[in-house]
Amino acid sequence: MKKSMPYLFLLPGIVLLIFFLMVPLITILWPTLFPDGFSLSAYTSFFTDEYYMEILVRTIRIALVAAIVCIILGVPSAYFISRCSAKWKGILIAISIFPMLTNSVVRSFAWINILGKNGVINNLLMAIGIIDEPISMLYTEFSVLIGTIYLFLPLMIMTLVGVMDQIDNDMMEAAESLGASKLKAFIKVVLPLSVPGILTGAVLVFTGALTAYTTPQLLGGNKSLVLATLIYQRAMTLNDWQGAGVIAAIMIIITLVVMKILNLIAARLDKRGEIDA
Amino acid sequence: MRRYKGLTIFAILVFAFLFIPLLIIAVTAFGSEPTISFPIEGFSLEWFGKALSSESFRKAFILSMEIAFLATILALIIGIPAAYALSRYSVRGRKFIKSFFLSPTIVPGIVVGYALFQFVVIRLKLPVFEGLLLGHFLVVLPYIIRVVGGSLEQFDFSIEEVAWSLGCNKFLAFFKVVLPNISSGIISAFLLAFINSFNNIPVSMFLSGPGITTLPASLMSYVEYNYDPTVSAVSVLLMLATVVIMFIVEKTLGISALAK
Amino acid sequence: MAFVDLKDICVSYDGKTNVLEGLNLQINEGELVSLLGPSGCGKTTTLRVVAGYIDTKAGEFLVDGQNYTKIPVHKRNFGIVFQSYALFPHLSVFENVAFGLKMRKMDKATIEQKVNNMLEICGLTEYKDRLPKQMSGGQRQRVALARALVIEPKLLLLDEPLSNLDAKLRIQMRVEIKRLQKKLGITTIFVTHDQEECFSISDRVAIMNGGVIEQYDTPENIYAHPNTEFVARFIGFENFIDVNRQEDGTYKALNYVFECGNSDLAKAKITIRPDDIQIVDEAKVNGISGTIQVRTFLGKSYQYEVNTAIGNLIVNGDGNKVYEPGDVLNLYLPANKIVLV
Repeated sequence: MKKSMPYLFLLPGIVLLIFFLMVPLITILWPTLFPDGFSLSAYTSFFTDEYYMEILVRTIRIALVAAIVCIILGVPSAYFISRCSAKWKGILIAISIFPMLTNSVVRSFAWINILGKNGVINNLLMAIGIIDEPISMLYTEFSVLIGTIYLFLPLMIMTLVGVMDQIDNDMMEAAESLGASKLKAFIKVVLPLSVPGILTGAVLVFTGALTAYTTPQLLGGNKSLVLATLIYQRAMTLNDWQGAGVIAAIMIIITLVVMKILNLIAARLDKRGEIDA
Repeated sequence: MRRYKGLTIFAILVFAFLFIPLLIIAVTAFGSEPTISFPIEGFSLEWFGKALSSESFRKAFILSMEIAFLATILALIIGIPAAYALSRYSVRGRKFIKSFFLSPTIVPGIVVGYALFQFVVIRLKLPVFEGLLLGHFLVVLPYIIRVVGGSLEQFDFSIEEVAWSLGCNKFLAFFKVVLPNISSGIISAFLLAFINSFNNIPVSMFLSGPGITTLPASLMSYVEYNYDPTVSAVSVLLMLATVVIMFIVEKTLGISALAK
Repeated sequence: MAFVDLKDICVSYDGKTNVLEGLNLQINEGELVSLLGPSGCGKTTTLRVVAGYIDTKAGEFLVDGQNYTKIPVHKRNFGIVFQSYALFPHLSVFENVAFGLKMRKMDKATIEQKVNNMLEICGLTEYKDRLPKQMSGGQRQRVALARALVIEPKLLLLDEPLSNLDAKLRIQMRVEIKRLQKKLGITTIFVTHDQEECFSISDRVAIMNGGVIEQYDTPENIYAHPNTEFVARFIGFENFIDVNRQEDGTYKALNYVFECGNSDLAKAKITIRPDDIQIVDEAKVNGISGTIQVRTFLGKSYQYEVNTAIGNLIVNGDGNKVYEPGDVLNLYLPANKIVLV
């Protein structure tokens, strides 16, 4: 009785997860490999279809660029937060968390207002007289990219603040006393010590951007499809369930592979540069 | 403290980038024109009236609240004992079981939605409400496991053992000693789970039925076909709710409880 | 003129209350000066002003006649050792020590030669490829010291560098620091709250309290002649008796008259260390009797808390005879051991 107790606690969750997550996943993935007997034809036709490949490449490109931009914007911002006084730190963390808690429809909608034909940017440019006709910036890869960066930047910042808070300020001061300017000290000391955090953040942003649905749907529409919007279109509009299954499998595999690789690198770096021992 | 000027300017620009888009929404919600424009030409509360009187938004809001609440409670009931077992006992295959419980975060939300749609809606033909509840339960369970698990890692189990030695049975000790000490973890797990369920879209998009849909999903379809400030008004109301929650959290748990 | 000259330094963190109140400190070239005081006395703040981490509200800071008040940290060329050592965890011992030289854009061969030389001096040669976390506390301390010294700094600043070491290592390291400091002839400021440590290695000691220096002198002079009650308490005086000066230059508490050195203080306290009070059969002058209330064992002897008419006195026995609580003792306070504050 005593020994079985922990398993009793775990059982309901395991049963529900098997029955309502694993079984459904198998339900959608099985037909992609065994339409009637084993065959990879569903996958080969996906990877040979130019249209699909374009979407796949676009999705990866957006996720990759978003991750890189989030690193570039996030690292200095997070460093700034981590060196602020307690009061300002609280305020800036609140500003970073607020968008994370706001619905992604609202966050994407904000960019419709900014980038749309009647949007802030077009109105501004026409008022100054740079353009006569509103230019269309929505439903492009660019608009999806901006929306995605906007969506995930707070996540990157919060991940990095957690790591940079651990870096002892004495270390920066020591570097300065040895002749490093603030910028140099940042590059030589803070940056190398933040690499594990940067990688973790990059994994979160990349996998999140790769599978995000709301933002590409609202800012990219049918003109700039990505895997997530494609899967919805295949399944719900076209009833192409095998196709949707293939895309689902690809998304899962890319997510797992990227997580595994970057986590391995992060773990190795972590071992090398632990902050205290 | 001496500061680095370039860094300050950079950070200000980044925070402006984070904040201004939401500010623009807030402003457009008070516009008087029939389509969204910024800056606004006149001031009006008309769109808030529209948003609040819209039958479909109201129904969707109530559904979202119900689903988020029930899914979170269900996840707590199933997740807390599981998290307890995982940190208290040396269960065989602990690491594997833990990552199994966290697996809904590894599988993309849109895939979870589609898989459940195939299984729950097409195969089992479950009613929409039950389907949504199940889907949202899966989405929020990892938050409970992670956050409650995190505070159980901090918990000194010798306290529980003292309670046993003082004549408290194991069941009672769990409720009298363990739970009160991880209560802040449970509350932040509840909040995170609730907020994430309330905001979820991919799962809801697949599992919604005719006339039965969550607020974000119905907002989403509204945005796709309309361009009037009603959505801005709804957004402002949602953001206000977020501010209130953040304020309460800051006063009780500390804002970083929501950054997990 | 002094090598290091702090003139009327004022520092305030919040703009209202001053952490340092017009602090003045002069240090000669090659001297090792300690800032000693309880936490919050402003000693670390003073060190950080010298290092350049804190802007002053008022005052000037000169080194070798040159005004350093506005020079940024990385251009000062001062070596600093932190309490936490602040070693760069991602760099090896060699790279840690080489950091400052690389910042000075020295060529590789010179860096190699200087670093190896410094590692040799600090006894670290065999560890040069290790990472900080693979080293013991004492070794890390040496790395921090080597890193600060290799840049051939104008000043060496040590912020409680020994407080994270165990007692035995602490004594060993302070001898080491003193040896290196004298060998290199480098002017050094040492911050500590440990009186013994400070007295053992310093040429001069500045005892700080509430943002000002209460006494600045050699360890010997401070030990024998504390200027203020604060200093006296801080360096081990435990007995304080309020007294008034008599016409004849003696001091009186109740009916007890004490002869002590000359002083122009009309109202004062006489103070004496527990070690300096003698237990005698009979005292002709400067004597008082009392009953033992508490006895504690100190190792080499016993300490007694003796209840007398002028208050409780702490007395260390000489180890020859042991008394019991309740015994009545005659105490003798030698005039040359009494300090007036």
